[in-house]
Amino acid sequence: MDDMQVSMYQLYKNMLTSYLQNKSEHALYHAQQFSKQMMEQDMSPEETVSLHLSVFQDIADELPEEVTDSFDLLLEVMIGYGLAYREHQSLRDRQQELESELNVAAQMQRTLLPDAGINLDEVDFGVVSVPAGKMSGDYYHYDLDDEGNLAIAVADVIGKGVPAAMSMSMIKYAMDTLTDKQMQPGYVLESLNRVVERNIDDDMFITMMYGVYHPKNSHFYFASAGHEPGFFYQSAGDTFTDLEGRGLVLGVSPRMTYKEYDFPLEDGDMVVFLSDGVTESRVDGEFIERDQITNMIRERLDLPAQEIVDEIYQQLEKAQEFQLRDDFTLMILRRKV
Amino acid sequence: MNLDIDVQEKKGKNVAFVEGEVDVYTATKLKETIQPLAEGEHDLVIDLSGVDYIDSTGLGIFIGALKASEKSEGSMTLTGLNDRVRRLFEITGLHEVIDIDAAKREEA
Amino acid sequence: MQVQTHVDINSEWGIVAARQAGRKLAREIGFGSVDQARITTAISELARNIYLYANQGQIKIEEVADSGKRGMKIIASDEGPGIKDVRRVMEDGFTTSGGLGAGLPGVKRLMDEFIIDSEMDEGTIITAIKWLR
Repeated sequence: MDDMQVSMYQLYKNMLTSYLQNKSEHALYHAQQFSKQMMEQDMSPEETVSLHLSVFQDIADELPEEVTDSFDLLLEVMIGYGLAYREHQSLRDRQQELESELNVAAQMQRTLLPDAGINLDEVDFGVVSVPAGKMSGDYYHYDLDDEGNLAIAVADVIGKGVPAAMSMSMIKYAMDTLTDKQMQPGYVLESLNRVVERNIDDDMFITMMYGVYHPKNSHFYFASAGHEPGFFYQSAGDTFTDLEGRGLVLGVSPRMTYKEYDFPLEDGDMVVFLSDGVTESRVDGEFIERDQITNMIRERLDLPAQEIVDEIYQQLEKAQEFQLRDDFTLMILRRKV
Repeated sequence: MNLDIDVQEKKGKNVAFVEGEVDVYTATKLKETIQPLAEGEHDLVIDLSGVDYIDSTGLGIFIGALKASEKSEGSMTLTGLNDRVRRLFEITGLHEVIDIDAAKREEA
Repeated sequence: MQVQTHVDINSEWGIVAARQAGRKLAREIGFGSVDQARITTAISELARNIYLYANQGQIKIEEVADSGKRGMKIIASDEGPGIKDVRRVMEDGFTTSGGLGAGLPGVKRLMDEFIIDSEMDEGTIITAIKWLR
């Protein structure tokens, strides 16, 4: 026996002797603490059983043969438990490995999203995007060109988690090749569709809503590739209308064109883009209605855009007991009064 | 979540009656049944009158089947869509590329 | 002269016979009761794999010595279908997820050395050694 085994043997012997003498709860409490130490030292269940028997044989003068023999059976059973325990340990290590790999990947993914704030005299802008798991299948984008035009976009890859996240990075890289055309929504979607169609599985697709605000004429231009409709809020009449464009989801058919729509934004008017993680939020088991979302926005009209989206996210997260079923992205662009 | 799929052969067509929710949990089951039918040369009709909910993963299965049927000789038609399901095909623009038979549903 | 025992595995009976022979030899070599039980469990799992996946095969056990060390070697061989993806069956959680027992990773843990040699449609030979400490 090596030193560790000698000391474990002695400790166990002291414990068992003390317990047999006075049957105290204190001794049992000791044993419970001791079990943690045994696990730290990687002692298996079968070794524990064997330790118990040899200590017992040492303390008791004469054990009946049946008692000693019965330990053969217990030992055999404990081998199985020991294997399960070791397998559990190795799977736990593996899980930690995967976890940290995922954390690195999630960190990389965050660098694909814009993070600079938008500070414009004309426009108030806010976005919240939260993955259901570690990685997101939602993508959002905003960018200013030299003339002060602001492009915004929300895309949603079907499914969630790692497979969705891998496709999401494709959108980002494809967008980067379009630098000087980013201000033409129809063209952007047409180009992205060609890339996605060539590079995505047959039963996957991506939806996307792309818009550009031109401060010069206060017009908003947008196109949609099968994306969840957004909202257009008109301050004058305090009304919300669906922001919906005709257009096929990205990745189904190689040659598609996307119709471009435009409308003027008056003071206080808002454009809302979202992913289906917002509309498919379930409160008390029921999908929320779209007018529940518009009501939540309406209640917060006096707040800056960023605070509106943050508060709505917090409210829906809480209503779903902090368990998102799908990646959640909500974006608001408002023409300042 | 349950999904039942019953495939019947009628006048040289395969008709798949689908019942339940088509979502991320049941999509694999749907794919395993309809993908081989879509790859075959017989026309395929998918009756969705028993389906009240389809999520985006479910939609993907129909797109995969559409692509397969375009490569083979056969066709693919959807029937029996309820309003909510039809709306999903409209939002995604898929009603423009998938043959959706609005009026009738298949007789079981 | 080294002790060597062959046991044919073509029934649950063979599994028990292999266990028995293994335990006896382990005791003779001088393994303690915990290691005896470990070696026996390893033999049991290897024999069961033969019985379940190849229908029949053989377990050979023998005493080995190497630079002053003494130990026990188990060779499990069959002419069954072979293992398609060895890496996969050696992954934790692969064979045990259905509650089938220790699986090959378990056998590897119970023993000190473990070599697996498998050819598709030819069969599988698994060699495992436990050294006496």
